[in-house]
Amino acid sequence: MSDLVPFAVAVPIVGSVLALLAGLVRSKSGWPVAVVASAVHVGVAAELARRALFEGTVRYVVGGFEVPYGIELVVDGLSATVLGLVAVVSLGVLAYARVAGPRSNPFYAAYLLLVAGLTGLTITGDLFNMYVFLEITGLAAYVVVASGDGGRSAVAALRYLLIGTVGASLFLLGLGYAYIATGTLNMGDLATLLAEYGHTTTLVQTAFAFVVVGLLIKIAVFPLHTWQPEAYAASPDSVSGLISALVSTVSAYALIRVVYTVFTPEFLAANPLARDLLGVAAAVSIVAGSVLAVAQTEVKRMLAYSSVAQYGLVIAGVSLVNETAMIGALVHLVGHAIMKGGLFLTAGLVATATGARTVDDYEGLAERLPAGATAFGVLALAMVGIPPAVGFVGKWYIALGAVETESWVLTAVIVGSTLLTLAYFARLVERMFFRETPVAAGDAEAARDDADVGADVTAADGGDRLPAPGTVSLGMYAVVVAAAALAVALGAAVFEYAALVEPTVTSLLS
Amino acid sequence: MIDVIATRYYYLATFLLLGVGTYMMIGNRNIVKKVIGVNIFQTGIFLFFIASAYLEGANPPVLTTEAPHVSPLPHVLILTAIVVGVSLTAVALGLVVRIYDEYGTLDADTLWEVRADE
Amino acid sequence: MTEIHSLRPVAAVLISLLATVPILASRGRPNVRETWTMLAALGTFGVVASMVPGVLAGDTYVTDFGTFVPEVSFALRADPLGILFALLASTLWVVTSLYSIGYMRGLDEHDQTRYFAAFAGSVASAVGVAFAHNLIVLYVFYELLTVATYPLVAHDETDEARAAGRKYLAYTFGGGVAVLAGILLVFVLTGTTDFTAGGIAGLAGADPALARAAFGLLVAGFGVKAALMPMHSWLPDAMVAPTPVSGLLHAVAVVKSGVFGIARVVLDVFGPDLVGDLGMGLPLAVVAALTLVIASVIALRQDNLKRRLAFSTVSQLSYIVLGLAVLHPMSLTGGLLHIPAHAFMKLTLFFCAGAIHVETHTDDISNMAGIGKRMPLTMTAFGIAALGMAGIPLVAGFVSKYFLLIGTVSAGQMVFTAALLVSGVLNIAYFWPVVYAAFFETPDRSDEKPVIGAALGGWVARDGADQWLASDGGAGGRDGDPTDDHGYADDHEGQGPVDSAAAAEHIDREHGPDYRPEWEHRGWTGEESTWFMLGPILFAAAGSLTLGVVPDAAVFLRIVRLVVAGATGVSV
Repeated sequence: MSDLVPFAVAVPIVGSVLALLAGLVRSKSGWPVAVVASAVHVGVAAELARRALFEGTVRYVVGGFEVPYGIELVVDGLSATVLGLVAVVSLGVLAYARVAGPRSNPFYAAYLLLVAGLTGLTITGDLFNMYVFLEITGLAAYVVVASGDGGRSAVAALRYLLIGTVGASLFLLGLGYAYIATGTLNMGDLATLLAEYGHTTTLVQTAFAFVVVGLLIKIAVFPLHTWQPEAYAASPDSVSGLISALVSTVSAYALIRVVYTVFTPEFLAANPLARDLLGVAAAVSIVAGSVLAVAQTEVKRMLAYSSVAQYGLVIAGVSLVNETAMIGALVHLVGHAIMKGGLFLTAGLVATATGARTVDDYEGLAERLPAGATAFGVLALAMVGIPPAVGFVGKWYIALGAVETESWVLTAVIVGSTLLTLAYFARLVERMFFRETPVAAGDAEAARDDADVGADVTAADGGDRLPAPGTVSLGMYAVVVAAAALAVALGAAVFEYAALVEPTVTSLLS
Repeated sequence: MIDVIATRYYYLATFLLLGVGTYMMIGNRNIVKKVIGVNIFQTGIFLFFIASAYLEGANPPVLTTEAPHVSPLPHVLILTAIVVGVSLTAVALGLVVRIYDEYGTLDADTLWEVRADE
Repeated sequence: MTEIHSLRPVAAVLISLLATVPILASRGRPNVRETWTMLAALGTFGVVASMVPGVLAGDTYVTDFGTFVPEVSFALRADPLGILFALLASTLWVVTSLYSIGYMRGLDEHDQTRYFAAFAGSVASAVGVAFAHNLIVLYVFYELLTVATYPLVAHDETDEARAAGRKYLAYTFGGGVAVLAGILLVFVLTGTTDFTAGGIAGLAGADPALARAAFGLLVAGFGVKAALMPMHSWLPDAMVAPTPVSGLLHAVAVVKSGVFGIARVVLDVFGPDLVGDLGMGLPLAVVAALTLVIASVIALRQDNLKRRLAFSTVSQLSYIVLGLAVLHPMSLTGGLLHIPAHAFMKLTLFFCAGAIHVETHTDDISNMAGIGKRMPLTMTAFGIAALGMAGIPLVAGFVSKYFLLIGTVSAGQMVFTAALLVSGVLNIAYFWPVVYAAFFETPDRSDEKPVIGAALGGWVARDGADQWLASDGGAGGRDGDPTDDHGYADDHEGQGPVDSAAAAEHIDREHGPDYRPEWEHRGWTGEESTWFMLGPILFAAAGSLTLGVVPDAAVFLRIVRLVVAGATGVSV
């Protein structure tokens, strides 16, 4: 019954085509199609994840070509986690996007294509296949980013495209080196053959360097992050929620896959410099990302820079080559996706309801939009790493791994990142809860007096700068509140999850 | 050194193309030329793959004899990569058209500035 | 000693935590909301109190939720030390809730719903800190406590309050980071973080350098909330909060959670013996001794009553830390007993300061001459608590200080004995003027208080109340503040003219026997304020006396003896 595996990729692709075709018959019919496809996708992902976590790795050989010649799809504990995340988050964002999001059919076609790309990236067992899915993901991501109104999103998307393509091309180049060294592209096969070829040979080292740098561009690690803030900030709110939660996450998954499955920990042991450089990149990213986040005035840009810092934590977990840290990196990957996706969606909700988009606009938000402010506050505190939220648990595992491997500098940076994160979130929390709404926005408040929470609100200050506020649907509230609740509740579930994923991690590290 | 240049000139060409592509992406202010730069960059990588598949004295990849033959896999891979590259270029040019409609310019510096004013 | 699996420890935390929901839900109906607060307070107190007899009999109550992170279970456990803190926090929450109602309504404060909800959350976290079974769970609640109290500190939404809130977050989360790093080290060294009476066995065999680093990080981290110098500066600033907050949280729950953390580290993580072997007790004791003397000296110079109390808190907390750091069973007893003793006394003092503020808007000690006529009961309670702070027998402070002195002498560390005695004298020096002014002076006839009142660095002319000059040349006058400042002044000189103007409104020539200006007379039967405030004040003052007169009958000393016997094997 491993035939189910290809369906994980096929379902969203078919949905994508259907969404396009449905658009020919009737416009704005993309959303129901996307929901159906996404729901089926969740079902498939759940079944696959169940099997991978409880029964062991699921493998499927595409087209019946034997490994190592054919393309293999593999679902182990690691990919099952990310697969489940992709499925759930994309369905959740759909619930948000019904009222908020772009409503055209091509958008939903691209949306499902993005989901297909992410899914493929997650379950493929072939390095070149990974490149193809990386590009599919990239292409779909450029399109959805550009789906916003006005020129800003198009410029951001083009910039994203230029830099993202370079990243993917570098990945391809590195893959070429690995192929020349071994003559195979299957990940499992590559692992043994690269070891035979010699981990310290220049060829293998160069392959590693290109592949990793390519992926670091996709993940947006400082200083390779330049595409990311603008892409997140300029895209429509639903899209920034989706891509912030998934695109970099899956790229980080790809990094883990490549470093541990293809190059294996022995490679890192043989090349301590590579390991150290990853650690340095992580530390620099944590610090620089946080500092840049503090300097932002636009909330979505601030959140984007915060991602740069948080992926630093994940990379730190990867660079430690330690079981605990690895589980921590996974937990933080999932936790960050929920928290950051939730934060972006909340920011979108706030912008829709009140027109507030800059840090200063958030003054007195707790009075104007209590639910939004509370959700934002909870998610922000979870991100800071206040126990028992999931943000703390991930950080705890990673820090524990850092102490176990006696990497003191990294430990200090990881533990200290709490304060750095606090530095940019405290500004917002304070403004939301402990400042009065500025006078101009107070007028909007007055205008709203006899309207419902969900009803229209006149623009806070000067309609020409802020887009006219729109309707906030129940779905948007539901998704945001669910994200906040998950961010707290997942912390309690981490231990059971860690036990499930432990065999996978152990086999990755051996 | 001369020997390397004489026998491995295709690698040189690869890295020349990569260099030209990178330079165009960074140095050119015109966003269409930036897109062309990306294409040249990718072409460099395609050449690298194809060149690596070449074996001295090999036959075409039709298995009729026991003789050594050219590895067909890189060709197939690059065929895929070219398709990916074409769709990327299409998306990029689509974006360029939209940007031009919106701002009436293709100059990257102006565009970033316009963005900053918004 | 048996372990009883029971839901009671978690119930104590959950009752107050869940109470935030109905409190928030009944935002439009203050009476319903306050009913919920009182119900939760009484419920929490009831649950905690129900465990006391069992704990005294040697049992512990455990609720285990299974593993949180590997090797660490998320468990709540009511052991003697935990019940000491939980009983204290929950008892005083009942009292403070009543007081808060009187105070907040008396000043017609804004955002009372948020205030009461955050208050309930803070108490839930404090009880969680008390019942934590290991360092991780302790850390969880410790951080939640910071989050829950932040809205209380920044309650006023003025620039000062926000600045104080920021400082509070920065300091306490900074401390949290150090604590987390320390926990990591302990966990890696021993593979466990569970509290064990007498110390975790694995630590004794660990690398001494790393063990020292872990101890240093943990104590430095908890020391932030315990306001050890030089990490104390958030505490005086946080006095900008409403007075019940200053009272319960900054004299009881928050600062005590820091002290409690240090107590856990010394007694149940490292164990007194190991701390001594590592040589970490002495440095900590030196820091504590310096803090308690320096803070007392600073307190002398504060004219604003709440600021004086804040520095007094800084000083008194270090008594506790000193007792823990000296490591002698006697001093441990004294230090631990000082936790409830100081809580009762300092709460009385803060409540009095708050009552004075609500009734007369007088915040500066220099304007309180003769105020004993206006608020006789309040000032009497203030006097009792002040005497206790100084260590006068028959009040709570005496018993704990007695144990502390005996402990330092028995440990042969006479320097600390001297520090304690000096600080006791300073305590009298900064509290007595308040009591003296209240009862034995009148507004137009007050004595010079050169040590306290004179500007540093020389005499500066002070003619009339509208000229207020400090020796650094800064004029202390402040523009009228539209929002209530809860009796807090942002510099040590107090609020000068604003405050004397406020006081003057209540001072009338007609009240004096011979047309001298004097405070209005109010009787001794409670007409000076509402019973919402007087009741708590008298309760806390009575508590201070009970602890001082019959320490053995009050349950706290028995619990403390149990804790010390468990940790050191010596019964005192």
